[in-house]
Amino acid sequence: MRCVVLRFLGLGLFVSFLAWGQSAQRNGGDFSNDTHPVTKVPTGVILVKGAWSSASDSVTPVPEDGSVTNNVFRDQYFGMTYALPRDWTEKYKGPPPSDSGRYVLAQITPGDSFKGPARASILITAQDMFFTPLPATNALELINYTKNNLQADYKLELPPTQTRIGGRPFTFFAYWSPVAELHWYVAASEIRCHAVEIVLSSRDTKLLESLMLDMSKMEVPAEASPTAGTGGGDVPVCIKDYASGENVIARVDPVFTEHRFNPVPVRIIIDKEGKVKHIHFLSAFPDQAKAITDAFKQWKFKPYLRDRKPVEVETGIMFGRGLRPATGNASVE
Amino acid sequence: MIKTAKRATVFALAMLFLAGMALAQTDPGVQSASRGTGATIITTDPNGFLPFFQDGQNRFNDIESVSNSPSNNNGLGPRFNSNQCSSCHSQPAVGGTGAAVNPQFSFAGSPVAPKDSTPYFITANGPTREARFPFFFNANGGVNTGNPNGGVEDLFTVSGRSDAGSCSLQQPSFNAAEQANDIIFRIPTPVFGAGLIENLDDSTLLKNQVNNLNNNFGIAGAFNHNGNDGTISRFGWKAQNKSLHIFAGEAYNVEMGVSNELFPQDRPLPGEDGNGGSGLTGLPSNCLNLTGTGYPEDTSNPTSTPQAAVLDDVSAFANFMRFLAPPPTGGVVLNGQQVSASTIAAGASLFTAIGCATCHNSTPGTTQVSNFVPALSGAPVNAFSDIEIHHMGTGLADNVSQGGAGGDQFRTAPLWGLGQRIFLLHDGRTTNLNAAIEAHQGHGSEATNVEENFDNLSQQQQQEILDFLRSL
Repeated sequence: MRCVVLRFLGLGLFVSFLAWGQSAQRNGGDFSNDTHPVTKVPTGVILVKGAWSSASDSVTPVPEDGSVTNNVFRDQYFGMTYALPRDWTEKYKGPPPSDSGRYVLAQITPGDSFKGPARASILITAQDMFFTPLPATNALELINYTKNNLQADYKLELPPTQTRIGGRPFTFFAYWSPVAELHWYVAASEIRCHAVEIVLSSRDTKLLESLMLDMSKMEVPAEASPTAGTGGGDVPVCIKDYASGENVIARVDPVFTEHRFNPVPVRIIIDKEGKVKHIHFLSAFPDQAKAITDAFKQWKFKPYLRDRKPVEVETGIMFGRGLRPATGNASVE
Repeated sequence: MIKTAKRATVFALAMLFLAGMALAQTDPGVQSASRGTGATIITTDPNGFLPFFQDGQNRFNDIESVSNSPSNNNGLGPRFNSNQCSSCHSQPAVGGTGAAVNPQFSFAGSPVAPKDSTPYFITANGPTREARFPFFFNANGGVNTGNPNGGVEDLFTVSGRSDAGSCSLQQPSFNAAEQANDIIFRIPTPVFGAGLIENLDDSTLLKNQVNNLNNNFGIAGAFNHNGNDGTISRFGWKAQNKSLHIFAGEAYNVEMGVSNELFPQDRPLPGEDGNGGSGLTGLPSNCLNLTGTGYPEDTSNPTSTPQAAVLDDVSAFANFMRFLAPPPTGGVVLNGQQVSASTIAAGASLFTAIGCATCHNSTPGTTQVSNFVPALSGAPVNAFSDIEIHHMGTGLADNVSQGGAGGDQFRTAPLWGLGQRIFLLHDGRTTNLNAAIEAHQGHGSEATNVEENFDNLSQQQQQEILDFLRSL
């Protein structure tokens, strides 16, 4: 009997030792014996990001902050507001800004309760004209470039024409795909040196026309213009390449700790004293954003004067590799 | 009488429902008729590379052992996902992707991996897979989302094999990772036509990228880059590998555990090497140098004949992939009926019109002059990919970063050969083209608007696109 007890104890110790050994080995790194974890990786969340957008503060509006709330699209940066048609919604948010300065501000589609005979989509995008590699300097030229370089499958329905949305001037053109029987209505204007585009697509041209009419209720800032939306008023003036030549009084290059090869487009707002007030990274890794932020603290600009008074100015700087411009015809016909 | 009327109504409704079902677009599925996929691209061979292709193909088919292979194919392990390149790259021919019967399902408990268990996500007829844990576990066994991992967690070990001595290793904690939602999968990428993709000049890709930016779908895109020289990398699900040589060397080391001239050490698991604060200090000494001949386990063979035999395995694999012809297109059978050429042509036009081809470019460019064979020079690369990485949103994101690609970015998967692929998307989550297309939309995806355009098409048009895709 004693022998059995000892054997049992011995076996128990052995099993305990094994369990202890495996437990010690199994936790950490690639191993875990926790099959009922309290903490789980959240589903539908991108935790590991590559180059992404960020800003030096969370107060100053940035383009990608636009959102649809209570069925109203608002983008404070662009000063745009649009109450969505009834039964329409934004099901999916857009991707982050690209390193070529492309934004998807809203993707609006009919909701489940929509009863129309055909579906449609409203896509609101913006292209930062400081960083586009396409041969265009304003929204009108961008539209013309698009029109002049339509794929062979598309047919032009209406060449670029001036129209008004929300009482502001826009350039409008239309094309369609005979094979897909889909029509695209594209309206663009420039706001704060961005070509803001509203792209409607559907098989149903009546639906598209009603959507265009509905756009009249969109609020668009007074500066909007296909050729001259360059800020000012309540927002900074935007000037391409302001951070160059004699405008820069003091400049320190960022010291990057990692060897990366991505373009890093950055928009900055320079205050009336010539200091960098706000930094918006359209696409940067965190270490790149930190190095650039540290460098900008030491930059000093000549204050920009309008009517002999200093005003805030917004400009863009490309760190790293920028995309090479395309060749092409953006001329107005 | 009333009952009869009700029955008639029910019957009529049922017929309407069935008619609707019949109208719904259907994935024609994997096309079984041979298209000649897997042949070499070499037609004229002034420099004598054809024997290198054939030698590479033979080695691609070799089964690796740990230490006592009669044919001297040693070096497997100590951790691995499979023991033969072609076991994973076999559909529809050697060099392809995962087959209908998953060879990994038979490893555990067999002489290949006698002490291992089959991971829960490996099934007899499911996708051939590798696994990664996006985040490390901490010392308590909890997942630490502040500590990204993302490395390959090999499924099997050499523990208990007769040719592996006393080496005894645990498999990674797949079940715990599943419980913590900390596991993602990848399926093998097919390598047909890979020599053409390798031979695209960076400037060609960059010009193509700018042209692609002229779209009204909200699509942008970026390139992944090689960390050493900054040029565009292009192979793998996130375009993380620069060349076929690197691609082969990494796979040989990571997927099969064979050290080689590019990756000269045996590879531990990410945490087994101390990463993530595991406290481990690499592979146990009794799991090192299992061949008993030193490192790397795969070397060149200076005294061998013929010439091709001088090469190390990795170089031979690279040659095999480089000289594989792109997969030919072919006819499509849907529900037993041959799909007409005009239907497939219409599908191709629709594919472009609705924006799919903005990323899945039919031809991103033409190759630079090749020193290998004429067929690789000045050739159009009809890959249906821009070789760029794109944000694909939360639905497809895997929270694994590779090179410059973040957790939601993936290379535009080349679609050539799609007609004969079984498992779709990076993790093989579906076998149905409809589901794969649907997965392109989601929060943060660049493809949402294009997917919406697909939804806006008629069912017949959608069917034409599916038919076209299965012709590739």
